[in-house]
Amino acid sequence: MKLTIGHLYPDLLNLYGDRGNIQCFCKRLEWRGIEAEVIPFLSGSRIDFSKLDIVLLGGGSDREQELVCQYMKEIKSDFKNYVEDNGVVLAVCGGYQLLGKYYKTDKKMIEGLEILDIYTEWEPERLIRNIILNSPLFSAPIVGFENHGGRTYIGNHTPLGKVFFGLGNTGKSGYEGVVYKNIIATYLHGPLLPKNPQVCDYLLERALKRKYGEDIKLEKLPDRLEQKANNYIVGRYSDKKYVLKETIKRYT
Amino acid sequence: MRLQSKLAIRCAKLTSMLIKKLNRGSGVTLPGYVARLIDPQILSVMSGMVREKTIVTMGTNGKTTTNSILYHVLKAEGKTVIINRTGANMLNGIISAFVLATDRKGRLHADYACIEVDEIASVRVLPQLKPDCALLTNISRDQLDRFGEVDITYNKIKTAVLSVPETKLILNCDDILSYSLTQDCQNSYVTYGISEQIFDDISRSEIRESIFCRSCGKKLSYDFFHYGQLGIYHCPNCGLKRPEPDYTAENIVLHDTARPSAKPSAGTMEKGQCAAASADYAAQVSLSAGRPVLSDRMYSFTLGSMEISSQARSPYNIYNTLSAYAALCALQAPMKKFKQTIESFDYGNNRESVFTINGARVQLHLAKNPIGFQQKISLVLKDPDPKDVIIQINDTYQDGEDISWLWDVDFQYLANANAATITTNGTRRHDMGLRLKYEDISCSSTTDLRKTVEKLTAEGTKNLYVIVNYSGLYRTNHMLTELQAITKGGAAS
Repeated sequence: MKLTIGHLYPDLLNLYGDRGNIQCFCKRLEWRGIEAEVIPFLSGSRIDFSKLDIVLLGGGSDREQELVCQYMKEIKSDFKNYVEDNGVVLAVCGGYQLLGKYYKTDKKMIEGLEILDIYTEWEPERLIRNIILNSPLFSAPIVGFENHGGRTYIGNHTPLGKVFFGLGNTGKSGYEGVVYKNIIATYLHGPLLPKNPQVCDYLLERALKRKYGEDIKLEKLPDRLEQKANNYIVGRYSDKKYVLKETIKRYT
Repeated sequence: MRLQSKLAIRCAKLTSMLIKKLNRGSGVTLPGYVARLIDPQILSVMSGMVREKTIVTMGTNGKTTTNSILYHVLKAEGKTVIINRTGANMLNGIISAFVLATDRKGRLHADYACIEVDEIASVRVLPQLKPDCALLTNISRDQLDRFGEVDITYNKIKTAVLSVPETKLILNCDDILSYSLTQDCQNSYVTYGISEQIFDDISRSEIRESIFCRSCGKKLSYDFFHYGQLGIYHCPNCGLKRPEPDYTAENIVLHDTARPSAKPSAGTMEKGQCAAASADYAAQVSLSAGRPVLSDRMYSFTLGSMEISSQARSPYNIYNTLSAYAALCALQAPMKKFKQTIESFDYGNNRESVFTINGARVQLHLAKNPIGFQQKISLVLKDPDPKDVIIQINDTYQDGEDISWLWDVDFQYLANANAATITTNGTRRHDMGLRLKYEDISCSSTTDLRKTVEKLTAEGTKNLYVIVNYSGLYRTNHMLTELQAITKGGAAS
């Protein structure tokens, strides 16, 4: 078996250790004896979505997103068909925003792919901190780091999870990310997957099932270290004293 | 001087004294805060008292070293120089440096001020300091959680520079981001850059920033990269290109010298000590009781007509020396002893120190961002001997709370580093462990760094590297110094 992962525009969208997500996909396939191929699509290159099993859309600065926007127009309908055909997508931060209708920054209006019925608006205060979600999709919490100026309004979409600690989509809604078909879109980096192997395996399994049929099941991997890293963040922010201390530090 | 300023200075000094008496830390920021409360204009007043020139150094990597070079060169010319201490590069720390250097009557006796300024703080510091020149080392990815994005860092620096149109800029023209300031600001400027390819593949990594033209948005073409986005670039679309630098380093050669044994004798280590050091700076250096690293291979290069055999062993430090040289030339500062000062300059500061513990050679290194870490890995790989490695990753505000940058470092090279053991430590030791796991490199973790160092120096390869990020530096340095004293250098002959 083999999965092909398309990394979209790594020359423009490569913030916050996105390489870690790719690395995590590949290693967790490799450790199970499944082949993985990564195709980086630099801006301007042609993308054949029919050859892809997973698409990764990473984060970029506001300026770089503006540049991406022009390349997006060329792939808009192909990308949409891929998603509706249950193609697997992981979109992080800037990539998450670009899946929506638009991202209104302080200076410009960036047109999105219109795959999700969501929109993002910029506010001067950036939302920056560790974040923990509880998601009905997974038994273990999802941990990561958020750093975004945009506030994303997700309308009727299903969020990825409820914010246990942190700020999330708008800083006020109490929810974070979007799950739609086989898309997971989120502000969480850190990178997302290594400390949340449950999310990685969820996406891998979806991609394998789409390609090789419904009876595919992923074998378990020893994830002790992953759990330790995940538990550390959860433990830290479950400690009310620590949270209070950090809050005081933040505002002084 | 106004009464208000005098009072501010008095109170700041009193605060500093109290902090020292009560043994509450080094007291480098609070006195500045107190002075500013009493006289918000205090920094302008103080900088106005500098007799000749004020030089500000900014940038992601190399600030401290560059500032220290400027300081030592000017000092060697017989100038009185004010310098702010490592890390005290925000508004309060800078004010402290000035007010605590005044005499009993609150007067400042200084020919030059060499001030390192944090990029975020620059917006408030520069308009008050009104420096004669501002040196920018480079702008790259660092502590993204604090700065948001690299573009935000750039905009901070731009805002700061726009507020001081009289200040001359000293820019690294190999860095497209730094060089963009010449388009966005009207300040006069000089450039420096290196046209020879001096960085190895491991240093280069894949970290890229701003490889798109800042004028037209098309992809830039590079003849080659130094590291990060630094290199020889041009835009095929609009014609923007890396200019011929005003100042450059040429004939850069890395000299092999006879490699000392893994357990060097104490005598070989003394050579790199800095010649000149004021009380303040000595205090800074003495934090590292460990002796400076004597490099196995060191760079020689030419600046203008000067042939310099430096003690630099990373190509970074050629940049640092070159930028200081460019600034001094641009200011027409005296430079008769430049060559002599640089040749005896210890680039290590307290960021790279060597200790002898239980007869083992222990090196302490600071790596606080992906580019810095990549350089350390390159350094570890250059040592062919078996070794043990400890990596400490903390995530305090000072370090940067977001540690995702660990995934931007090419750790896979450590698989070939001849490392007998790798141990992770610090609040984010498991994240560091995961980073290695996903390169199929095995490691263990510890919460007791001291015990691990004791064990590895006693039973390990006798060649230990300890790599820490910012918040662990002083504590670890202190701990290693203590261990060195306890084991009395062990069996070192």
